[in-house]
Amino acid sequence: MKISYKHFLWLLGLAIVSGSLHAALKVETTTQDLAAIAKAVGGDYIHVHSLTKGTRDPHYAVAKPSMIRKVYGADLLLVIGADMEIGWLPSLLQSARNSRVQPGNPGYLDLSEAVPLLGKLQGPVSRDMGDVHAKGNPHYWLDPRNGVRMAKAIALRLGQLDPEHVTEYQKNVELFEKTLKTRLQDWKKTLQHLQGKPIIAYHTSFVYLADAFGFRIIDEVEPKPGITPSAASLAKLIARIKKERIDLLIMEPYYERRSARYLNEKTGLQIAVIPQSVGAQAGIETYIDLFDSIVKNLKFKEEN
Amino acid sequence: MFQLRYPYLSMTLVSGLLTIYSVTANAAEAKESAQEPLELRQQIERLQQDYQSQIDALKKRLDEGHSSSVTNSSQQSSSLRIGLSGLFAAGGSSVDNATLANLQAGGHDPKQNGFTLQNVELSIAGTVDNYLDAQANLIYLMNPKGETVMELEEAFFTTRNLPAGLQIKGGQYYTEFGRQNKQHPHTWGFVDQPVILSRFFGGDGLRSQGARVSWLMPTDTYSELTFGMQNPKGETVTSFLNAEGEEIGGYTLTDRRARNAADLLYSARWLGGIDLSDNLSMNVGVSGLWGPNASGTTTDTQIVGADLYLKWQSAYSQKGYPFVAWHTEFLQRRYEAGDVAREVLKDQGYFSQVLWGFKPGWVAGLRWEYADADGNTSADPLRDTRKRLSPNLTWYTSEYSKVRLQYNRDWAEHLPNKTADSVWLQVEFSLGSHMAHTF
Repeated sequence: MKISYKHFLWLLGLAIVSGSLHAALKVETTTQDLAAIAKAVGGDYIHVHSLTKGTRDPHYAVAKPSMIRKVYGADLLLVIGADMEIGWLPSLLQSARNSRVQPGNPGYLDLSEAVPLLGKLQGPVSRDMGDVHAKGNPHYWLDPRNGVRMAKAIALRLGQLDPEHVTEYQKNVELFEKTLKTRLQDWKKTLQHLQGKPIIAYHTSFVYLADAFGFRIIDEVEPKPGITPSAASLAKLIARIKKERIDLLIMEPYYERRSARYLNEKTGLQIAVIPQSVGAQAGIETYIDLFDSIVKNLKFKEEN
Repeated sequence: MFQLRYPYLSMTLVSGLLTIYSVTANAAEAKESAQEPLELRQQIERLQQDYQSQIDALKKRLDEGHSSSVTNSSQQSSSLRIGLSGLFAAGGSSVDNATLANLQAGGHDPKQNGFTLQNVELSIAGTVDNYLDAQANLIYLMNPKGETVMELEEAFFTTRNLPAGLQIKGGQYYTEFGRQNKQHPHTWGFVDQPVILSRFFGGDGLRSQGARVSWLMPTDTYSELTFGMQNPKGETVTSFLNAEGEEIGGYTLTDRRARNAADLLYSARWLGGIDLSDNLSMNVGVSGLWGPNASGTTTDTQIVGADLYLKWQSAYSQKGYPFVAWHTEFLQRRYEAGDVAREVLKDQGYFSQVLWGFKPGWVAGLRWEYADADGNTSADPLRDTRKRLSPNLTWYTSEYSKVRLQYNRDWAEHLPNKTADSVWLQVEFSLGSHMAHTF
């Protein structure tokens, strides 16, 4: 068969169409929370993949070879920032040889710049203080209001990289905001009993959650951020729990439970293991799922 | 690097104050001799107000401080990372210092009864511009004579945005051969370097000046090909031209130099990486080296190696623990020796080590090593049949320091007693930028 000019044009057209069908933006994220929000905003117009799993602490990830391959192919890289990924992202970016997603380029979006950070350190900072983040506490995704801010920043950037679907991204982000705002009212109602209540956390990772739902975190199980509790530090904490009649401890699933059980034995303090991220436990797949699960775990503690 | 913003602001403040002072001082002099003091005074007051408002603005910026200035300084710190790590060891062995120096042949190994300063490394890394990243590592160490030695360990650039997954590295750098060779002492899982690496690559690892190109292949899984050319001469290119007067297998090396491109050291490596599951990752690599050696005028050396690395990490891990990492490398060398009666020296060896992070901060390790050579080499400490078993325990007190205790059981043909026992205690600290977490 002779390939005519017409055939050729037809094939070319087909190639262009199929090419554009596969042209969905490739978005890599450092955490599953970012991936979930990006998915809510980008819908089917983007391919989203998270470099780390929600079951692990993203601060302690390592740059695996498979990640190098993923970042090499990415059009947009979403990061938590505020030094969260400092142990692995710089070397990953160097190995990945993808200038599109290097800091400063449109393909790199640090979401810590889109939210008001809590816990910024004033005065001198020393490593004697433990794992402190001078730039502010990086666990900001645990406030639904920040979720909205992050979604808006992501939508804006997606629109810049893919102007064709700006209206879709905008529509999605509006829907996301509306849903979150409605759900936030419900969640707040359910957690009414926590208003103004003093609570203990394992690590300094729930300050944003406390801010969003109106409870107070007055102390941590870790004597300093990232420092494993000792017998002496636990004894001091027990005295405080008894004196101030604190009855709830919240912690992430990946921390050791021994200290918590010990505190429970000594003081009767209740323990709520709450997911800190999308993907931290089975069934938590969206950003809304995350707060549904957190609220469920904290509500349960009231009924006990 | 957050301190950086203060010097700038305080300098501005100080210079502002100095200017006021000098203006006031000059003005005071002027006032005495001036013919129109009132006008001058008004001028001075205006100037003072100007400076005052500038100082107030600066103070305000300083007080608000963190939001704007931290962002600035963080950008600075991400473009320049400076770190200093110190590695010290203390311990002893059942053999004397002269014998120990043969057993612990690595340049950074603890190799004397008593204290050893293994390595103090100053590392500076950052982004040069849109095109290049660069890094320099300077090493300070003290030799057994008690002299301080400084080495330019590495100084190289890598390209940032070549097309098609390509990257070029150039300068003085560790050759990408196997997994361990380019690792720096403070990232090792053991206090000393593997026997087979000391034999083939000398005390300081294989490194030289040159350039290499690497290609990240367009496959679904990670697959990288590296091809490089380096200068074959110097003490850190042990199995090749090395340095005049050194000895290998009884042959004294001459001052042979690279005459043309064919006389350079060529290296090639393929590295594949795959996630077998969310919790289990694997790296497989093969490497080769080709270059001239100085035991004769036309003699060549070839080294081939294979390496395997498997790492398991629990799905629910705290600070990356628990984990199990298994690392094995096999190396073989073919060394043509002598011009007159040409002999081919064949050496081989392997090491296999397991690190088990059993609870946050705690890692138990076990390493087994074997090395030998063809022919009767029992009297040569660098070619005899050698075995070593090294259990150890490391406590990472934080991300910035560690304490390690290691026991070495050596079996070596050249020793009069055939065996040796050593115990080493190692301490590391690091200052400055956050070190990268190693996979």
